[in-house]
Amino acid sequence: MSKAYDVIVIGAGAVGTSCAYHLVKKGMSVALIDMRDVARGSSSHCDAAALLSDKQPGVDVALGYDSIRRFLELQEELSNPFDLEQGGSLTVCETEAQVELGAEYVKAMQADGYDFQMLDKYEMKQKEPFLADDLPGGFWSSACCSLSPFKLCFAFVDEVKGKGLDVFIHTKVTNILLDDKGAVCGVDTDQGRFTAKNVVNCAGVWSGKVCDYLGLYFPVEPRNGIILVSSQTAPMCHQKVQEYGYLITKFQTGFKQDPLVEKYNVTMNIEPTEGNNVIIGGSRNFTGFTEVADINVIRAIARRAIRFFPILKDMNCVRAYQGMRPYMAEHLPVISAVDEVPGFFIAAGHEGDGIALDPVTGQLISELVAGEKPHKDISEYSYSRYKGKGPKA
Amino acid sequence: MKEYEMIVIGGGAAGLSAAIEAKRHGVNVLLIDSNDKAGGQLVKQTHKFFGAKMHRAGTRGFNICKELLKESEDLGVEVLLNGLVMGIYDGDTVAVDVKVSLTEHKLMMLKAKNIVISTGASENAVRFEGWTLPGVMGAGAAQTMVNYRHVLPGKKMLMIGSGNVGLIVSYQLMQAGVEIKGIVEALPKITGWQVHASKLTREGIHIYTGYTIKKAHGTDRVTGATIAKVNPDWSLVSGSEIEVDCDFICIGAGLKPLTGLAHMAGCELIYDKALGGWAPAHNYNMETTKKGIYVAGDATGLEEASTAIEEGTIAGAAIAEATGHLSAAEAEERKAGAWRRLADLRDGFHGEERLAAKNKQLAEYDRLMGVRE
Repeated sequence: MSKAYDVIVIGAGAVGTSCAYHLVKKGMSVALIDMRDVARGSSSHCDAAALLSDKQPGVDVALGYDSIRRFLELQEELSNPFDLEQGGSLTVCETEAQVELGAEYVKAMQADGYDFQMLDKYEMKQKEPFLADDLPGGFWSSACCSLSPFKLCFAFVDEVKGKGLDVFIHTKVTNILLDDKGAVCGVDTDQGRFTAKNVVNCAGVWSGKVCDYLGLYFPVEPRNGIILVSSQTAPMCHQKVQEYGYLITKFQTGFKQDPLVEKYNVTMNIEPTEGNNVIIGGSRNFTGFTEVADINVIRAIARRAIRFFPILKDMNCVRAYQGMRPYMAEHLPVISAVDEVPGFFIAAGHEGDGIALDPVTGQLISELVAGEKPHKDISEYSYSRYKGKGPKA
Repeated sequence: MKEYEMIVIGGGAAGLSAAIEAKRHGVNVLLIDSNDKAGGQLVKQTHKFFGAKMHRAGTRGFNICKELLKESEDLGVEVLLNGLVMGIYDGDTVAVDVKVSLTEHKLMMLKAKNIVISTGASENAVRFEGWTLPGVMGAGAAQTMVNYRHVLPGKKMLMIGSGNVGLIVSYQLMQAGVEIKGIVEALPKITGWQVHASKLTREGIHIYTGYTIKKAHGTDRVTGATIAKVNPDWSLVSGSEIEVDCDFICIGAGLKPLTGLAHMAGCELIYDKALGGWAPAHNYNMETTKKGIYVAGDATGLEEASTAIEEGTIAGAAIAEATGHLSAAEAEERKAGAWRRLADLRDGFHGEERLAAKNKQLAEYDRLMGVRE
C-alpha cells in the first residue's frame, strides 16, 4: 500500500481533523492517520468549551475570538451538528483580592474591544442562584461557547471523507521519510508506506515522539486533567462557570489555597451539557502518559466544586475521566512550518486550548501548507522559538 | 485505611466460592457486593442445574446460593453489602461507594494485596425503533423481577433471542402467569438447548426463527411490537411484518463480561466471541497480567455458575498460598482438583468452543508475560 497524497496529517484529534478538513477545502488530497481512532485521545477526554475568559490579553485572546467566530461559521458549514452554543461564561472570584485582579483583567479585555463586564455578588447570584453566598463578585464574558469536541472531530471527518480525505485508523507512523534534498516525501507506518510532499504533525501529547523521527527538538509533555460527570439533574448551573484561580493555575504554578486542592493543582470549573449532566473540572498534573483518574484528585475536584456550588454535595458523580493535555512551558502552541525540514509542519502543544483554537489552527495550517500568507500574525506560534536548541540529546 | 489480605469484588457464585475457599484456610478476606444480598444471579435461578452430582446437578440455583451463603456465614467471611466498587487504584486500593440509606452514600477506601474481580456480566442490548420505551428490558432483569422481587413486569411478553437465557426466562415468566406472545430469533435456528425449547413449544409457544424485531409501539410505554423476517444480509423482508400484541419486550441477546474494573486496573484483555467478547487474560492461578489481581466467573468469560464456582475456588486457593496460609503442595491439590472438575464441565458438545477459548486465555497470559515453557 503506497498511495500518494498532497498532505499527510498525523493525529485525528480536534486539531488534526480540523487541519484535514481545511486542507481539503483548499483543494488538497489528505491522508489522516491515527494510531488509535478519531477523537480517541485528548479530544474525547476534555471539557467542552471555547472560552475567551481563560485567555491572556493580546494575541492569545485575539486568536480565541477568531476561533469562536469561525466556530459560528462552521455550525452552518458542517452537515453534522456539534452542539455549539454561545452561552457566555461566568468567572467567579473567591476573595476581594481576586476581584481587584479580575477588574484589571476585565479592563484590559474591554480595552481590546471584547464584551467583558464585572458583576457584584448580587448580579452574580442572579446568573447562578446556586453559587455559595460568601463569594464577593466576578465577571462575565458573552462570547464564550460550549460544544462537543467529540462530535466536532467526526463532523470535520464526515464532511470531506471520500471527497479528498482518506482516514487510516489503527495505523501508527513509524518514520518520516526525507528525499535527498532533505525535504519531506512521505511516512512509513505499521500498515505500509504513504507518500506526500507535506506532513502535518497534529499528534498532541505524542507530537514530540513524531518530531523525534526527524531529530527535531519539541518539548511537549502530557499535563493531565481529570473531569467529573454528575448524574442528570434539574438545571443547577446555566453557563460555563469557572473560578478566577483557574487562570492563575493555567498561567502560573504555586497558587496557594486549600491544601488538598493545592496538592493536586485543582480549580473549579463547571458546565451544563445537552443531556442535563454537569461536567466538573478540573486538575492539571504532570503524571506522565496515563489515562487513569486518581481517586484523590477526583475527591479534591469534588471538594473544590462543592465550595463554590454547595448544592453539588447532594448529587452523585457517575463518571470521572482523565485526559492528557499537550503542555508546553511557554503556554503557547506551535502552529508553524519547520524551516529545517521543508514540507514539515507542526500544529501541536495547545495544552487546554486545543478545542478553543481548533478551527483557526486548521485554517492557519491550510494557509501555510498552500504557501499563502496567514490571515493572522502568528509569529508567536512559530517553531523558530526552538531555533538553535537543536535535536534532543 | 483498613487493610485485608484479600478483597473479593462481587458476591456471586465465583466470588462467594473464592471467599469461602480462602477463608477456609485462614485468609483475612472481605467480600463486597453492590446488592442488599450476596448470591449474584443464583438468587433468581429457579431451574435445576445439569451435569453430574459433584457439580451440584439437580439442585436449583437459589438453593445452591443458600448453601454457599451458609458456608460463607459459618466460616465467618466478612461481607460488605450495598457497596459499589468504583475503581481499583495503584493495584491494591479499592474505592467503594457504600449506600447508607436511600439518599446517603459514603466513600470507603480499602486496601488488599490480593483482589478478586468476580463482577459477572452485563446483558447486551439490541437497538430498534422504540427500544428506549419503558417496558423494553433485559431478559435477566425480567427474571430478577419475577423470581426474586416477585413482581410481574407485564401480562403479555415478546422475547428477543432464543439462547438459553431467552428460553429459560420465557418459561419462568409463563409459569408466573405471563402470556408468552412469541420468541424471535434472527438466526435460522434456535440457539439455546433443545431441552429448554421443547418445554415451551409443548405449551404451544411459537419460536419465530429467521425473524427479528422491527419496532416497539407505544408513546409512554410498550403497547405492541412489529416483527419481520430477516434476509441473509440482515435487511428485513418487506411484507413479512407480523404485529404482536404485547405490553413488554425482553431482550435475551447474550451477555458480555463486566471488565471495567480489570481494564481500569491495567489488566490485559483479550477478545473472544465464544466468551462474550473482551475478558482478562489469566494464568493457572486465575491471576491476571497485573500482579495480585485475580478474576473468576463470568467476568473472565461467559460460562455457567458451576464453572464460576470452580474458578473462584482456584483463585481462593492461590491467594491462600500467596499469603502463606497454604503450602505450595496443599494449594496445588486444591487447584488441581478444581481444574479437573472444570475440564469435566467443559467436556463435550456444548463446552468445546469454550474450552478452546479458555485455553487461549491461558496461552495469551503466557505470551503477554513472556512466560516460557
